[in-house]
Order: sequence, then C-alpha cells, then structure tokens
Amino acid sequence: MLTRRDFLTRTATGFGLVGLAHLLNDQQLLATPQAGAPANPLAPRAPHFAAKAKRIIHVFMNGGPSQVDTFDPKPSLTRYAGQNPPGSSRGTERRTGGLMPSPFRFNPSGHSGLPVSEIFPRIAQCADDLCVIRSMHTNVPNHEPSLLMMTCGDMQPVRPSMGSWLVYGLGTENQNLPGFVTMCPGFPVVGPALWSNSFLPGIYQGAHINNSNMDPRRVLQNLSNTYLSQGAQREQMDLMRRLNEMHLAQRGSDNPLEARIQSMEMAFRMQFEAQEVFDLNRETAATRDLYGRGQFNDACLVARRLVERGVRAVQIYTGSGQPWDDHANIANHRVNARTVDQPVAALLKDLKNRGLLEDTLVLWGGEFGRTPTSEGATGRDHNSHGFSVWLAGGGVKGGMAWGASDEFGFSAQEGRMHVHDLHATILHLMGIDHERLTYRYSGRDFRLTDVSGTVNHNLFA
Amino acid sequence: MMKFRFLAWLVCAVFTSNLAAQDADKVAFFESRIRPVLVENCLKCHGETKANAKLRLDSKAAVLKGGISGPAIVPGNAKDSLLIKAIRHADPELKMPSKETKLPDNVVSDFEKWIDLGAADPRDGKQSAVADGIDWKKAREFWSFQPPKKVEPPKVRNASWPKTAIDRFVLAKLEVEKLTPVRPATKRELIRRATFDLTGLPPAPEEVEVFLKDESADAFAKVIDRLLASPHYGERWARYWLDVARYAEDQAHTFAVIPNTNAWRYRDWAINAFNDDMPYDRFIKLQLAADMIETEDAARMKHLPALGLFGLGAQYYKNTDAAKAAADELDDRVDTLTRGFLGLTVSCARCHDHKFDPIPQIDYYSLAGIFTSCKIANVPLGDSARVKRLEETQAKIKKLEAEAKTKANSKVEELTPYLVAAWKVRAAKQQDIAAIAAADKLDAAVLARCVKFVEKAPNGFEVMRKTSAAEKDVVTAAQAMQKQAKTSINKKGQLDKNNKELLDKLFYADDSVFQLSDAMLTKLRNSDDAKPLPITHGLAETAPANMKVFLRGNPAKLGDEAPRRFLKVLAGDDPAKFTQGSGRLELANAIASKDNPLTARVMVNRVWQYHFGRPLVGTPSNFGALGDRPTHPELLDYLAVAFMENGWSFKKLHRAIMLSSVYQLSAERDEKNFNQDGDNRWLWRQNRRRLDVESWRDAMLAAAGKLDRTLGGPTTNLAAVDNNRRTVYAKISRHDLNHVLRLFDFPDANITSERRVETTVPQQQLFVLNSPFVIETAKAFAARVQKEAASDTERIQRAFQLAYGRPASAEESRLFETFLQGQDAEPMANRLSRWERVAQILIGSNEFMYVD
Repeated sequence: MLTRRDFLTRTATGFGLVGLAHLLNDQQLLATPQAGAPANPLAPRAPHFAAKAKRIIHVFMNGGPSQVDTFDPKPSLTRYAGQNPPGSSRGTERRTGGLMPSPFRFNPSGHSGLPVSEIFPRIAQCADDLCVIRSMHTNVPNHEPSLLMMTCGDMQPVRPSMGSWLVYGLGTENQNLPGFVTMCPGFPVVGPALWSNSFLPGIYQGAHINNSNMDPRRVLQNLSNTYLSQGAQREQMDLMRRLNEMHLAQRGSDNPLEARIQSMEMAFRMQFEAQEVFDLNRETAATRDLYGRGQFNDACLVARRLVERGVRAVQIYTGSGQPWDDHANIANHRVNARTVDQPVAALLKDLKNRGLLEDTLVLWGGEFGRTPTSEGATGRDHNSHGFSVWLAGGGVKGGMAWGASDEFGFSAQEGRMHVHDLHATILHLMGIDHERLTYRYSGRDFRLTDVSGTVNHNLFA
Repeated sequence: MMKFRFLAWLVCAVFTSNLAAQDADKVAFFESRIRPVLVENCLKCHGETKANAKLRLDSKAAVLKGGISGPAIVPGNAKDSLLIKAIRHADPELKMPSKETKLPDNVVSDFEKWIDLGAADPRDGKQSAVADGIDWKKAREFWSFQPPKKVEPPKVRNASWPKTAIDRFVLAKLEVEKLTPVRPATKRELIRRATFDLTGLPPAPEEVEVFLKDESADAFAKVIDRLLASPHYGERWARYWLDVARYAEDQAHTFAVIPNTNAWRYRDWAINAFNDDMPYDRFIKLQLAADMIETEDAARMKHLPALGLFGLGAQYYKNTDAAKAAADELDDRVDTLTRGFLGLTVSCARCHDHKFDPIPQIDYYSLAGIFTSCKIANVPLGDSARVKRLEETQAKIKKLEAEAKTKANSKVEELTPYLVAAWKVRAAKQQDIAAIAAADKLDAAVLARCVKFVEKAPNGFEVMRKTSAAEKDVVTAAQAMQKQAKTSINKKGQLDKNNKELLDKLFYADDSVFQLSDAMLTKLRNSDDAKPLPITHGLAETAPANMKVFLRGNPAKLGDEAPRRFLKVLAGDDPAKFTQGSGRLELANAIASKDNPLTARVMVNRVWQYHFGRPLVGTPSNFGALGDRPTHPELLDYLAVAFMENGWSFKKLHRAIMLSSVYQLSAERDEKNFNQDGDNRWLWRQNRRRLDVESWRDAMLAAAGKLDRTLGGPTTNLAAVDNNRRTVYAKISRHDLNHVLRLFDFPDANITSERRVETTVPQQQLFVLNSPFVIETAKAFAARVQKEAASDTERIQRAFQLAYGRPASAEESRLFETFLQGQDAEPMANRLSRWERVAQILIGSNEFMYVD
C-alpha cells in the first residue's frame, strides 16, 4: 500500500528518480511508533548513485589555520610587507595592520610540484594525493558560527551534522561500532552541537571519544562490564534472553520486542569487538612508528582502524578549544603543524598501502582561514573571505589546486567554493545527491546544504 | 552570502503546478533558481506596481509578451533571448538589474538553462508573487481551518462494545474497515498502563491488589481519579509540554552564555499547572502574558514563571552578523509559538509566502513584531511593593552613581589648570596666589593646596616640582596626571584609592563630596530594599514597534511594514491590529479562543498521542497542507469541542479517553487485523508502547525502592550516582545534553519537538548491561527483595510484582530458582551476587521497558 507519506516522499524527492528517503525505512526514520517492521536504522543502504567514497575522515584543524602559511603561497606579501595596497584587506573580527609575509618557506612537492609550506614536511610527501581548494569562503569571521557552518551547514545550532546526515542516508557497515565517531580530547569550542543529530533520531549523533585517554575499555560509554566475568555475564544474558523470549511468545510476533532482543545480543558482542578497534597494541611497531605517539597520532590510527571496519564517518579535532587560533604569533603554526603533520601523512600513506584511500575521503581544514595582514606584530586574525582546505582519496584528483584567492590571499576569487558547495561535493563523492538527502521534520524537508550548494565536478578524478 | 533556512521549493512544484509529472523537475528548477531571483531583483520595476519599459516579469504570459523592446525570452533559445542579453550586461545600453551589480555568473547560467529547457513557468498571472495572492475563502475551507463541529456519535452495528461516545466513532471506522477489536485488557494490564500513562511510574503491588479485588463497576474510574489526584501526574504531563516548549536551561554555544539557573521555575510552574488542572486556555495565556494578566501579588508571583516559554528561548551567538542571529532568534519564537499552539509552520513564511499554507510572508513578521516589542528579562519575584522599592532603590543607586561619575569627571577636568597654575605660582617666585588665581579664574584656597601638592609631586611627575622646568613639560605632566585620574573612574563614578585621595586633598579638604556620596551609596547598597529578589526568566515590554518584512529573509532588505496582529487565515481578511503594548495578551487571546479552530484540536491530538502512542493527526505540530489528515476527523472534532465545553480541562479529557473501550483494549496481536492494518491506524487494539527514558529510569528506581519522590525545586545532575530524583528534574542542556537522555531518544532542546522518535540500538543495551546506574539500581532492588521476603521462592514472586505488577509463572520461578542456585566457575571474578544479577535481568528485560 502506498501511504500518503510515501507518496509525498517520492514526489517530493523523486522527479522521476527514485528518492533516497523511501529507501530508508520510512516508518522507522519518521518514527511512527508502530508495529510495522522496524528495519535497523543503522543498516547499510544503497546510495543514490555509485559512490566514489564509502567513508570519510575529517581531520579538523579547529581554530582556523592560515591559508597563506600552509597551502596558498603569496609572494606578494613579501613585496608589500607592512603596506596596505588596495584590495589587501577586508573586514574581519579585529583590526589588522599591514600585509605580513609568511615566516615559512613553500616547497614544490611531489611530481605535481604542488607548493606546500615547510611546516608540513611529511604531508608534502603526499602532495600528489592532495586536492587543495584555495577558494573556500564562509559567512562570518567568528569561531562559533563558522564551526557550525563547517560541521552542520548552518550558523545556528539547529541542524544535524554532516556525519549524522551521512549515517542517516547511508547507514553504516559495522553494526558493532557507532556509524559516526568524533575524537577530541575534551571539547572544541561550541562542543557537542558540532556532531549533533539535531532533529534526526538520537542514534545518528556522533559518538564522542575523548582521545586524551584511549583506554579500549572506556572509550565508549559503558563498553565493558567490570562486575562480572564474561562467562558469568553470558549466563546472565541467557536467562534474560529466555525471559524476553517467553514474554515475546505470549504476545506473538512483535517487531520492536524482537529488535531489542537482537540488539541485546549485539551489545554483548560489541563489548569485545568494539574494544578491539581501540586497542592500538594490536598494531605493529612499524605502523605505530609511522604515526608517531601522541593523542592526535593515536586518533589518526584509530580512525584508520575504524574506517577499515566499516565506520561511515570519523572526525578528529586537532585538540580541545581552538588550537589553530594564532592571533598572537603565526609562527606558532609550526607547533600545531608538528602535531598533525606526521599522523595525517601516516594516515594517507597507511590508507593507500591498504587500498583504502581510493574509497576513503579525507578532508583537512579549519572553519575559516586567517588574514594576510598582521594582527599585533606577528599574529593573524580570523578570515571568512578566503581560506584553503584539501581533500584526498575517495575519488578526487590528486596533486592539484582548485581555485585561487586574490593576490594577497585575503578572499576567494576564482572558482569560489562556499562551505555548502564543499558539502554538496563531499555528498556527491559519497554517492548522495545533496538535494535529495532530506528529512521531513514537522512538515518541512530539510537537507545539509539548506537551499544552496553546487557540486564541483572539477575536483573528481 | 545570503542564507535561506527553509526548504520548500522542491516539494512546491508538485502542488502548485498542474503540469505533467515529467515537467515537474523543470518547474522545480524555476521555483528554486529562477522565481526567487525575479522576486528579489526584477519585480520591483517590472511587476504589478511598476512596469518599466512596459515590461512585466510576474507571469508567464507577461514574460512572453515582453515590453517595448519585444518578448523578454524565446523559450528554448537562451542565446536569442533579450533577458539574457540584459543580465549578461552584453549591451552597454541594456544592463539589468539597472541599479544593482551584475547577477552572479551561476545565476546567469541558471537563467540560460531555464530558457533552453523551455522556460517552464507555472505563474498563470492569477497568483501574483507580489501580493499575498491567496484566495482566502477557498483557503479557509481546508479542514483544519474549519471550526470543529460537535458531531453526533455515529450509529454502530455492535452496540454492546462501545462504552462511550469515543468508542462509537472508533467502532464505526472499524466496522467500515471490517476490523474487529481485540479482547479488553486484563485488570493487571490496565492498571499498569494507566499508572504509567498518568504518572510515568509503575503501580505498587499493593495498588494492583486493591484494583484486582475491587469488583465494583467504577473500579477503574477510581484508579483514574486516584492517579489524576497524584502530584506525579503533573510531573508526567508537564514533561510532554516541555518537549514542545523546547525547555532547556542554557544555550547551545560556548562563548558568553549565561546559564538560566532559574529555568526550573518554569518547569515547576508547568507541573503545578497540570496538577491544578489549569484550564488550557489559561495555560496558554499565562505563558504569553502572565505579567499583563496577573496584577494581584500572590497570583503574579505564582504565574510569572510561565513566561519561561519564551524567556528561556534560544539566544544565539552574536558577534559579526548580529542581525542574522537576532532574526534566527525570532524564528525560534514564531516557530515554537505557532507549531506548539496552532500546529502551523508559520516559520516557513520567513523568507517568502508559505508554499503550501495560506500564510503570507507578512503574517510571519506580524507575529515576529510582537517578539521584537518585548525582550527576554530576568523578572524579580516579590510582592509589588517590594519590587517597587527594589526598583526605586536600584534607580537611586544608579542615579547617585551617575552623579558621582559626572562630578568626578568634571573635577578631574580641572586638574590640569590648577596644577599648571600651582607650578606657575612657584616658578614666579612672587607666590601671589590670590593674583594668579584671580587671573586664571581659579579658587585661591584650592590653588594654595595645589601649590603644596606640586612641591612634593609624586614620582613620575617630578617635573612639576622643578621651578626651572619648561612650561610645556609641566602641562604634559599635569595632563598625564589628569588622564590617570580620569581613567580610574569606574562605571559607578568611583575613582581608585590614590586618585580619590588626590582629588579629596586638592579640592575638598575635609568635607569631601566624594566621601559623602560614597557613604550614601554604601548605605543604599546595603539596605534591605536593595537585596536582590529571586528571579524568573521571563519577558518584559519594550517600546512597541512593527517590523518590516525582511525580503527573502534578509534583515538588510526591508519591505512593507507588518502590523502586529494575528494570522489572516484565522483572524479574517482584516485582522485587528494589536494595540496593547507588544500585543502579547491580544495574541494570547486570539490563540486561546473557542473561535480558534486549531488550538483545541492540536492539544487534544497531543493528549490522544500520549494515551495511544499514535496521534489522530500523524503530524501533531503541523495541521497544514503538508501535515497528515486525521484518521478520525469526527472524533477529533468531538474531543476538541468537548475539551472546550469542559472548561479546557485536561483531567476531564484524560478521564473521557481512559474510560473508553478503545483505551481499555489489550495490545494483543490479531493476524487478520494485523495483515490488513499493521500500523493499527483504525485502533483495533491498544498499542504496546516503550517507556520513554524518564519513565524507564524512574521505574527502575521505583522498583528498587530508591526513588526520591520530592517534588520540584532546582535542577539536578543526572550523572551523579546518588541522584534518585525523578528524571523530569534533571538538567536539560542545549549545549551538552546528558548522554543517557540522548541515547534513549530524548529530543534536542534547541528545537520544538512534537514526538519522541524511538530507536533500538546496541549502545542502549550496553547501558543496561554495564552502566553504573543500572548496576547500582539492581543492587538496591536485590537488597530490597531480600529484605521484603523470606525465601528465594517468595522473593522471586515479590520481585516480579515490583517489576511487572504480576506474579512469576511456574516456569519463570523454576528458571530463576535454578539460576539463583547456580555456582560460578570463577567466583573471584564476579562482584555481583546471584540476586543482584537477577535484579538486573528483571529491570533490563523487555517486559520492564514495554507496556501492554
């Protein structure tokens, strides 16, 4: 029987094509608490079209790295150092001074000769895999709205995050692990709204892992039982199962009751299988040396282990607060770069060696960029007018730079890409038409890209 | 970058065009990419009010006809279309839009694509995009805008089944659908269902026993009345409302958030309102305008917290784009107001006329203007005389502080001339103070003191001591001293200690004016009248003013003024303008009115939802065109009218619903019915329902004998191991919602919620298996059972009664006894006794979490 909602869903999203929404179990996702079949809301689902990327890792440079010191070299900054030639400055959060050259050298890297700042010597070795976007822009030069824009596609905390949308749309491949994992030692600015499910069901929220202590037994809440041995717990589970089955038998078939019995068994297994993924002692010394040791390093290695096991979306924050926010001294970028350079490069190499990079998309970048003009003597202010991010793997062209900022790197000029466009492009790589991944929330169809977003096909391999 | 929050363009085409389905995507393209650009950039000069060059672009026909230069477009041929030449700025004589910058390249290519694909355009000229373009008579014929009718309950074939009018409405549908209602629930099932329904708690075994033994005809009615009289009723039902009210105690973002530490007063107000069976119309009015309604002290203090519905509303981060953030806050207010009370998605009309419902954009701003005419405020709770004294005292303090500041500032200004003159006196060697004072129009006595001061000018200002110094250096030093004194003046007009002494010494000798005002201020600040009162987060009136429509939702582009008034579809073609202050009370009266066709319907539908797990209208906060139609429209109307006739009483409504046969059906499965109506739309059985997280957690604590039944008060921390209060009292955060609440489908409090989604995932079961909360509760449950019964056989019976309200079956007893007698293979590894493990099984089971 075609219900009214099916009809709406199909006509609303279809236009002759088969919409995604009705492929998802409509009753479950739209939460009619009824006896109809409750398909597992995390079960893998087919994308709209063939996906180039099956999973995504977002290494988030929260705080906002400076484009002109990382992936967008601007020789004019040296030529006009201290000056304010026309077009070199636009409104940002604070008052800035004259143009300030980068304290770092850029080196042509890889066969492609892509220029990469000297602070990323190891990422530079992966230059031929990087698809740098030098023409990003966002709405405002403030952390909170821009963090929300980058993660959820809106400046206010009222929308689901991209990871939540992806798991809602595609499900996840490993039912013993959360579909969307976010790692941050403590919280970034804004906090959990950055991985919120918002109006999507709660199971689509990112599972936050505090990677300051990657104890496999404790990284996920309530993952292990410290009261009973495995055997004693199994014996207890068997009696619970027996009780639940007698309860069910008296009531005949009932999907929610059956689902919970299955779910209980899955939880029992998850206790052991989920611990395994966070146990880095299972990696060889060579692999651990490749990534190096440290919180961010461990998070990158765990990210590889997660995607290897079918987790759909992983997000890693550079650190709590806003580590890249170098207002006072841009030379401090060297310290942040040291934190991320080795593990991010290791992640790319490791994924590649395992054949995972081709269908794993890696996104590197912050919520905005920084001014080419100086704040104080040696710092840089926030900049929403132009910044750089890069993609790697997952169907993008390597060794290329897309778009361009102006002569001084202040604002995106050629091939401009708003965050909505980035999201549309990422969703496309994941096999999703961003205009058709919708959720009906009290009478309106919402999507990650709101009413905007253009897929940039130029980035695709 | 412009930002539009609402997505409706896509779906729109399906409903507004009569084109063949295969053209729907072209129309959708027009709606999403072309129409908005025309509205924003073209129609002002080429539309209904003005048609420059005789060109109008507001209908398909007009576009094809064109203006003085000929047709604007050639469908299928963008290259030869005049419109494209104009917007490409190809011809210097024909650049459009004329006064604005060229349209972005991607917009230009959208227009080319649109024309090349045939220029699909559903605008037939009758529905102009400029005016509100709504056929109001027709619009008001939509079912939910029609007044609910008091319908006579229909006749049914099976006359013995219905107990009440409600049953006849339900049975009539069942008979049409050829479905047969299942058996009635057993008394055990019924009391468990009713107790959870009304109080969110399990029945005590003793309460079950009383009901089982009561064979009177009104035995169940007595149970209902007992439960409705329980203070736990309000705790349960207020929480449902708090979902709609998106109740929370903080904001989602990080910077500059001031937590609303008194938010609980609103939560408690709602609980008390339900317990007092406050009429729903009054419940609405107080939440919008308690400050305007209640003038008598005691009532005023009791009901001011009602304003928390909006006083606790979202406040977004405002830094660079404050206008956008403020506009988004208004969206929160209008959205919560209209979806919550009226089941209308008025926020869809923030950027453009509502695509599906008769809500023109101006109506959104008519409501939003009410919220810009008041502000979120911390309202003191005290009798009016005391509040008046507090406010007067605060005003006095403020005034004195301002005076002190003015005085300090003006005195400080005199420092430089006096100090320079004092130096001159010393440098002139004549030291004729009186003469110099007269020449410079200064006070001689003050100057004399300054001369003494300058002799020993403090370090850093030594130059003043030197009679040989150059005058300009002395002036500089005096100015620096003045500046230092000036910057030390704070908001309250106080100087720092050194500078204050300086001024006192120079200007006032012994009877310092500063000392005097300081003493007065200190006295005032310490007075009883100045002691702060408890506050509640509410609203306060500001200067009332209408908003102007934000064109395309952009606060920088203003359109027509939107008078503060109610929605046109409900209030008639020319709704009365609101004139009393912001208009909140008039708005409240318009909503809480028997003449409003939506208000009662929306609320009875919510109540029905919580009694059956499924509402009569499947979209409880959307009664518009995109919402579901009622499965039982006559029943909905009957309930709505009865609700109003019964004085908007919730308790009477609960009673009427629960005394019906349909409520009292079992949740039993019936294959024939199930195959025909698996979703149970037609109510051939009661729905088996999962406990929401609040009831589930509370029920565990209740079974364990740990539940702390204290009512009301400040918020509690759910993560604390010793928190045994009911879950409704837990802190609700927009920033970081408690993990357990989120895991078990508690709604995100950043947005209004019409229902709990229900998910079943292993992470939830990990909480059952391993969380300290469940394990500690299981331990307490085990201890209780061991204390309350003597043998394992009796204990098992007691435990089942406490957990499920029924005895254990023989099979269950046998299984559990066997388990209790089992031996651990590795006893040292286990820290839970066999009884504790059993207790965990009982509270972790399906039967505990689901209610038949």
